Amino acid sequence: MKRPLAAGTGISLPRISDWVDNFGSYRHQVTDAKIERWLRQFASRDQDLAARLLDVIDFVGHTQMSQLFRQMLGAIPGWNRNPKQRHGRWRFAPYSTSAGQSGDAMIHSFRLANNLDGKVNDELFIRPRDLLSEQLQADDTVVLIDDFSGTGQQVCESWERPLQELLPSEPRSFIMLLAASAAARQRIIDQTPLRPIIGFQLNHADNIFHAACTHFSKAEKNVLLQYCRKASGRNPGGFGDCGFVVVFAHRCPNNSIPIFHKKGRNWSGLFPRHD
Amino acid sequence: MEEKRKAMVPKTIGVKTVPVSSLYPNPHNPRLLFDREPLKTLKASIKKVGILVPLTVYRDSARGHFVILDGQRRWICAREIPLDDVPVNEVAEPTLVQNIVTMFQIHKLRADWELMPTALKLELLMNELNERNDAKLAVLTGLPEAVVTRCKKLLSYPKDIQDLMLNQDPDARVKADFFIELYPVIHDRVVAKFDWFSRPRFTEQMLGKYGPDRPIRSVTDFRLIKQHINNARRTGKLRELSNRLKTFAEDKPTPVSHLQIASASVAAAARKLVSDLDKISNAIRHLDVDQYYGEEKLWETLTTFVKVAQKKLKEADQRVQ
Repeated sequence: MKRPLAAGTGISLPRISDWVDNFGSYRHQVTDAKIERWLRQFASRDQDLAARLLDVIDFVGHTQMSQLFRQMLGAIPGWNRNPKQRHGRWRFAPYSTSAGQSGDAMIHSFRLANNLDGKVNDELFIRPRDLLSEQLQADDTVVLIDDFSGTGQQVCESWERPLQELLPSEPRSFIMLLAASAAARQRIIDQTPLRPIIGFQLNHADNIFHAACTHFSKAEKNVLLQYCRKASGRNPGGFGDCGFVVVFAHRCPNNSIPIFHKKGRNWSGLFPRHD
Repeated sequence: MEEKRKAMVPKTIGVKTVPVSSLYPNPHNPRLLFDREPLKTLKASIKKVGILVPLTVYRDSARGHFVILDGQRRWICAREIPLDDVPVNEVAEPTLVQNIVTMFQIHKLRADWELMPTALKLELLMNELNERNDAKLAVLTGLPEAVVTRCKKLLSYPKDIQDLMLNQDPDARVKADFFIELYPVIHDRVVAKFDWFSRPRFTEQMLGKYGPDRPIRSVTDFRLIKQHINNARRTGKLRELSNRLKTFAEDKPTPVSHLQIASASVAAAARKLVSDLDKISNAIRHLDVDQYYGEEKLWETLTTFVKVAQKKLKEADQRVQ
C-alpha cells in the first residue's frame, strides 16, 4: 500500500491528473470526470479521506505486470528459454477459465512479457482441459497462471476438485500469481502440492482495516467501512475480509474493498469488474 | 472386449508387508471423501482382526513410493489406529490408461462427482484404446452407459467451453448439466440449418442468459425450449421459429416464453387431445354394457361428455350426426 498525501492536502487539478496518469490504463478508462463523480459519492466532510484512499491504491499497470512476469518465470528452477536446456516438458495454463476472465488475460500478458508469443512456443501453452491428455510426468513442469489470491481458498478448493485429477502423475506444479496475501501463500503450501510463485506479497499492513495499517486512523477506518457497507452489504471488507487496495489494469480483484469496484444502485465503483 | 479388459489389469508381483507411511493415495482416485460411519466399522474390525485382505499397490517409478490401487479405506483406518505396517499385494506399475480404468472400476461413479474430469479421462481412454462405442466403453470402465453418453456430449463442446466446467471459482464454474440439457437444442437438425445459427455463439448466448435473475433460471428450461422448437417444426412454422429464436438468443432479457408460437402450441395441444380422445373412444367402444350396467356414475359422466362434445361441435359449425 502506498503512502497517502497528508490529510487536508486538497483535491487539486494536478492531484486528479496524477490519479488519471496512474489509473488511466484500467480496462474501463478512468478519467477526471469519473474520479470526480466517484468522489462526489462521499459526504463533503469525507472527501479528503476518499482522496487519500485513491493515493494509497497499488495499481498494477501493464508495464509492471510484464516486469513481474519476467521475474517470476526467471525464479522457477529449471526454466530456460532454450528448450534443449530445460528439464522435462513445460506447460503453462490459465488457472481461471471463464471466457475473458483473468487467467486468459494473464496468459496473454505472460507470453508477451517473456517473448513467448511466437507460434513456435504455442505448444507450451495449453487449456486446463488439456492437462490430462498431455500426460505430464513427474519430471515435467506445469505452471498455472493467475493474477491474484486473497485467501488461497479458491486455489486450494479447485486443486482438490477438479485440478489434481487432471495431473495424476504429479508433475512439478507451480501457481504463478501477480500478487497474493501471505495467508494465501501459506494456505496453498499447506493444502496443495502447488508451489506458489508470487509477484508481490501482501501483508496485514496492506489490509486497510487492519491495525497494522497506519495510514488511516481508527475513526477514518470506521467511516470507510460504512461506505464499504453501502457498496456491498455482503462483503464490506472485500472478499475474505482482505481489505486490500490493489487494482490490476485488467481487473480489480474482489478482495479489494468494494467501494473501488462495486457497481449497483447504492454505489458506483471507479474500477468496475464487469462490462 | 474381455481381452481388452484383461489387458487393463496390472500384473501381480507379490504379497508383502510395508510401512503404512510408505503408501500414498492414488491421484486418479475420484473419491476424495469417505463416509465416516462405514470407516468406523472397518476400523473396529481391523483393530480386532487386522487387515485380512492385502491392499493392492504399485511402486511409482518416478518417486519410489507405493501408490494405492485398491484399499484406500483400509489405509486410512491403518493410519488412524495407528498401525505400523500393512499387508500389500504389489502389482506392476500400471500405465495411465490401466490406472484410470482401475480407478473407474473400483470406485464407480457417484452423483456428487464433477462430470468434466470424468469425461476427460474417458476421452483419454477412447484415444488410447481407439474405442468409441458407448456400450463397450461402459463395460470397460464400469460407468453406466448413460454416463458415457453424457460424457461424450460434454466432449463435443469446444475446448474453451469445456474449461468453464473446470473453473477454479466454484461459483463461476458452470455445471455439466447445463451443457447436457443444452445439447439437444443446439443439435436440433432444424435449428442447425438456420443461416444465422452458430453453435459456439449460441452456447455463449445461452450462458449469458443463464442465472437466478435471468431468462433461463434452470437448466431444465432447455427442455421447454426444445419443446417449442418441436412444436414449431411439426406445424411448419420454421421461419417464425428462426426469427424468434434469433431474437431470444441475441437479446439477453427476452424470456423463454417468446419462443412459444401460439398456433404451434395449439397444434401441439390438439395433437395431445386427439391422442387422449382416441384412447377414450377406444375404451368406450370396448365397454361391456352388461358388466358396467350398475355403474351410475360412469353413465352420468358419459352423458355429460356427449353433451359437452355436441355443444363444442355445434360451436365449431361441425355437423353432428
